[in-house]
Amino acid sequence: MTDAPAAPDSVAAPPLLAVESVDVTLGRGWRANQVLSGVDLDVWPGEIVGLVGETGSGKTTLARTVVGLVHPRRGRILFEGLPISALRRGALRAQRRRGYVQLVFQDPLRSLDPDLTVAEIVAEGLRIRGETDRGEIRQRVTSALEKVGLDATVLERTPGQISGGQRQRVSIARALAVEPRLLICDEPVSALDASTRNYVLRLLEELRTSLGLAIVIISHDLSSLAGIADRIVVLYRGRIVEDGPVDRVFATPRHPYTALLMASAPSVQHDRPFSPQQLRRSGSDPALQPGPGGCVFAVRCPFAAEVCATQPALATIGERWSVACHRHEEWSELAQTAIRQEGPAHAR
Amino acid sequence: MAIDNRNLWPDLAPSRAGAGAQAADEVLRLDDLRISVHGGAATAVRGVSLRVRPGEIVGLVGESGSGKTLTCRAILGVLPPGCAVERGTVSFGGVDVTSLSRRDWERLHGSHLGAVFQDPASYLNPVLTVGGQLAEVLRVKLGLGRRAAHSRALELFEAVGLRQPERVFHQIPAELSGGMLQRVMIAIAISCDPRLLVADEPTTALDVTIQAEVLELLQRLRDERGLAVLFVSHDLAVITQLCDRIVVFYAGEIVESGPAGEITRRPRHPYTQALLRVASVGDFRRRELEVIAGQPPRVGEDITGCRFAARCPVAVPECGAGPIRSVPVGDRHQVRCVHAARAVVTS
Repeated sequence: MTDAPAAPDSVAAPPLLAVESVDVTLGRGWRANQVLSGVDLDVWPGEIVGLVGETGSGKTTLARTVVGLVHPRRGRILFEGLPISALRRGALRAQRRRGYVQLVFQDPLRSLDPDLTVAEIVAEGLRIRGETDRGEIRQRVTSALEKVGLDATVLERTPGQISGGQRQRVSIARALAVEPRLLICDEPVSALDASTRNYVLRLLEELRTSLGLAIVIISHDLSSLAGIADRIVVLYRGRIVEDGPVDRVFATPRHPYTALLMASAPSVQHDRPFSPQQLRRSGSDPALQPGPGGCVFAVRCPFAAEVCATQPALATIGERWSVACHRHEEWSELAQTAIRQEGPAHAR
Repeated sequence: MAIDNRNLWPDLAPSRAGAGAQAADEVLRLDDLRISVHGGAATAVRGVSLRVRPGEIVGLVGESGSGKTLTCRAILGVLPPGCAVERGTVSFGGVDVTSLSRRDWERLHGSHLGAVFQDPASYLNPVLTVGGQLAEVLRVKLGLGRRAAHSRALELFEAVGLRQPERVFHQIPAELSGGMLQRVMIAIAISCDPRLLVADEPTTALDVTIQAEVLELLQRLRDERGLAVLFVSHDLAVITQLCDRIVVFYAGEIVESGPAGEITRRPRHPYTQALLRVASVGDFRRRELEVIAGQPPRVGEDITGCRFAARCPVAVPECGAGPIRSVPVGDRHQVRCVHAARAVVTS
């Protein structure tokens, strides 16, 4: 990867964003539900991080915690070395107004005010920040829209009057208008057609290059992340189970869950190292019930063994590559043996 | 549980002479279907013809607004307000259903046709147990008694891969995950042994791991019950994974149709070729993310000739000269493109 500007050359420079052993609990009392457990994540300037995981894995909660919409119960979040999760009241509002971290929401049709025009939507962040000069606002709105490839013709339209791809670009322009350093995009392309999806992803990559933005893309589509991300972070039930460089992780996933995600992704080609069936616990196999404190994935993992009764820590296994699995060195061989015993994988 | 479906509605006469002979090996047949929208002001689906054979999984793929969902809804007899079948026929086993009364449609739903959609939760009653809702269908449609309906419902839940059918039976939709709800919807859809299942983006809202399981389930139902499936998706990767035949929609027309392997290995229409380039390849290697330049025409826009010509890299003046005919280029492989037509003529 020649275009990854992400490698931290100097250890001294702090990451742009540091999430340090964050726990998040949503709800109170008997309803309390621990959504994130001990999440550690660093994002460096100019880096594109792909955050993947299934529904309920805590991807969106992590994004909301980073922008300060949810407070962590434990751990802290640092932005450029400043612990933003500890800020309260005035200091928190001041930090938010600076707009260094911007969130692009999942469904632009629902997250953009249907009664406002595109111009008003994009200008809103600037107004909140205290910008009053109309000419200045106008100029910044136009330039933000230009960055996402939209021209002045959409300015006076409302979100309902433009196409899905354009709407997603408007919500990116809204985030860009306040000149953030970190953009967090929650499923930015899941509702779009393939061609539009690629267009929006390419746009994000261009913005990274031209503005030096760090971008976190939350997605369940691994294949499109393969096209642009530098790093892949896999969440499962509120825990990071694998974190590493995209080409390494996708070449040889070291957590069985990462491998299952990859094997399940639909594809035009049919050659895969594993079929989803090999990475799933079969129905007849009684589900392992590790007690509290066991590996979160053990219930679904066909390779779970006695060691899995304790939660494995995220351990470094290579350069900037870590995985939380007791059997990360053994399982892929076990899966291979299973193929030899049962004959070739189900193939059509 | 084999039901001779045609006997359920003997009063409906076969619509077309000659259709009877083919009817045996056709579950569904569309002939030159045109659907108008906005109360007849525009035509969104123009001249769609397709066939589905028993036990065949046919995939409709195209961008949003390409007419694939409208076609689906016309097949189910549930076109949204303002939309109507302008011309052409939809027939099941040789019987035209385009002008059926509501009563007749009701007899058709369930026994001939099952349907699943993108958002299963919105098709289930949120305050009733899912088991009760399935049992109700069995009692109304098949006339089963309370006990028989209950045990049949459990069998069906088991058949769609729900692990603890007895437990799921007594749960309400909010207690089930999206993947489980979609399995419940599939159980309801196949409860009266239909010959055709229409599935409109049934896996779009699901996680990839669950999506893979639902696709496997559909394939298994086909293998075990000979169920024909008409599967609609905007994701070509999902379609190729699942389907035997692929039908590519562009701006209200079928531009290419053929066996899945043919379409993915030797696509003949420039639009299909473009779709394959932008689709998820699934090899997880870093690659250039390609886009199809330009925008599709607005719904109902009048264009002479090929509707893709404005975005086509190999367009020639001929493309805009007149209507483009769909020509056969192989075994059950049809392409609507002047280049393919020319190749056919010269050979």
